[in-house]
Amino acid sequence: MGSLDGQAALITGASRGLGRALALSFAREGAVLALCGRRIAPLEEVAAEVCAAGVRAVVISADLGVARDVERVAATALDHLGAVDILVNNASDLGTVPLAHLTDASSEALQRALDVNVLGPFRLTRAVIGGMLLRGRGLVVNITSDAAVEGYPGWGVYGASKAALEGLTRSWAAELEGSGVRVIAVDPGDMDTDMHRAADPDADPATLRRPGDVAESILRLVVTPQPATRLVAALP
Amino acid sequence: MLAVPPRQRAAVPAELRGLRRDGVRLCVVDRAAESVAHTTVAGLADHLGPGDLLVVNSSRTIPATLRGSRADGGAVEVRPWVRRGRSWEAIAVEVSPPHAPLPLREGERLRLPGGLTALVAGRRPELPQVWRLELEGADGLEILLAHGRPVRYSYASEAIAAEHDQTVYATHPGSAETPSAGRVLSWELLLGLRAAGVEVVDIVLHTGLSSTQDDAVDATHPLLEEWFSVGPRAAAAIDRARRVIAVGTTVVRALETAAGGPRRVRPVQGWTRLAITPEHRMRAVDALLTGLHEPGASHLDIVGAAVALPLLERAHAEMLERGYLWHEFGDSLLVL
Repeated sequence: MGSLDGQAALITGASRGLGRALALSFAREGAVLALCGRRIAPLEEVAAEVCAAGVRAVVISADLGVARDVERVAATALDHLGAVDILVNNASDLGTVPLAHLTDASSEALQRALDVNVLGPFRLTRAVIGGMLLRGRGLVVNITSDAAVEGYPGWGVYGASKAALEGLTRSWAAELEGSGVRVIAVDPGDMDTDMHRAADPDADPATLRRPGDVAESILRLVVTPQPATRLVAALP
Repeated sequence: MLAVPPRQRAAVPAELRGLRRDGVRLCVVDRAAESVAHTTVAGLADHLGPGDLLVVNSSRTIPATLRGSRADGGAVEVRPWVRRGRSWEAIAVEVSPPHAPLPLREGERLRLPGGLTALVAGRRPELPQVWRLELEGADGLEILLAHGRPVRYSYASEAIAAEHDQTVYATHPGSAETPSAGRVLSWELLLGLRAAGVEVVDIVLHTGLSSTQDDAVDATHPLLEEWFSVGPRAAAAIDRARRVIAVGTTVVRALETAAGGPRRVRPVQGWTRLAITPEHRMRAVDALLTGLHEPGASHLDIVGAAVALPLLERAHAEMLERGYLWHEFGDSLLVL
């Protein structure tokens, strides 16, 4: 028996890094999955690993910065899974790579980060949360960053988008209190991922968290009811 | 009933008119009191109470028109009405407004986006404007989601984004047209109703089309089968409810199909062919929240089954006078 038996999860940014690790952890615990990412080939590799764990997975190639793609992701996931019990808004865009100071960033970079990191989760959450509210249960996990609340040179575009995502999270959580549907944000810290390497090529991997370890911590948050004070959680 | 003037056909949804979804007008017809009152949908709580059950249709609207080309290279727009896997029954229309019907040829192949082709296999015997298409290649739903456009009629702007077609609880993808009675509901309103003791439960009915794009044919109220599902949770809720309020004629069709007796609904799913006429005696539904349908529309037959014609005519006249807006982006009617 897994702790997520009978539950269906939709994970964005699932082809690599934390999204992939979450898919594997959730699959081990019995959740059926919809996996979303930009490129289909790595998604299918993750799906094959998931299926080896004995659970079903559907893969959806999409750009979450595009409204039509978000609707296609939601509809495909809902069609295949019947319902979404857990949504993990994990996909993120740095805006520009290499990172640029905010004083030098383009408005296109900020727009792109807002489209993928804010509008994407907003649209996807809105699409699946109605079903959760009808059933009176469900969980939305928004992956955030300490750049949402700290000013780091070069991380301004990304940080502003994550601050907006945390704002959405707080409002959703307040509006849905008592509904049976939880919306939380999780700051996983600095991880040894392709995305972090792109942002900070000089970081020492030994100082970075492994996505698999972070996924296990998030899994514990998912299966354990959290007090309201953990609305935005920085993983220990 | 008096005709609805064009200016009272809602061209855009409430959100694009500076209103909340539930900020649209609501006409309340009380059959017992033979009264007609006016409020907004946000005021729904004033008319419902503990023990009432609101039944909504959680079907999600899909962009159900595909543009492609015919064997002779001409452009065609396909609108599936009934989808059974790779077998579609669909109308074919011109790609430009007013989207007049386009006669196809049996045996021809239509080229549709995403590598999808459709063999024209025949016509629907009782409704020859509907073509039987056998899909070849890609999955039809996948292609609709990737390349389809929403169905829009002449009174509404084709530029309205597809997100406005969804109700706030839309879940199961499959409706060709929005189950629009519920478009006016917000979660703020629904959660408030729940807190006040009103139960909210869903059924699924995937809507077909409401028009063949031929006025003469539409006047005969063509109604094809629609897939529906009434689950055990809905059936049990109906069993214990003080009053069942159907949100939309699609919910009426599903519940009356599933009704096994007065206020008895069995969990069931499948295709419904039930046509509800003004003579129909409701078995599962006590009250109705609906959008406004023009005189002559088949939806109005269902409203007519719920409320006597003189009272309905009075409400219709008052709504016209007060400037209510009709159609899927318009105002609402509650029949108690």
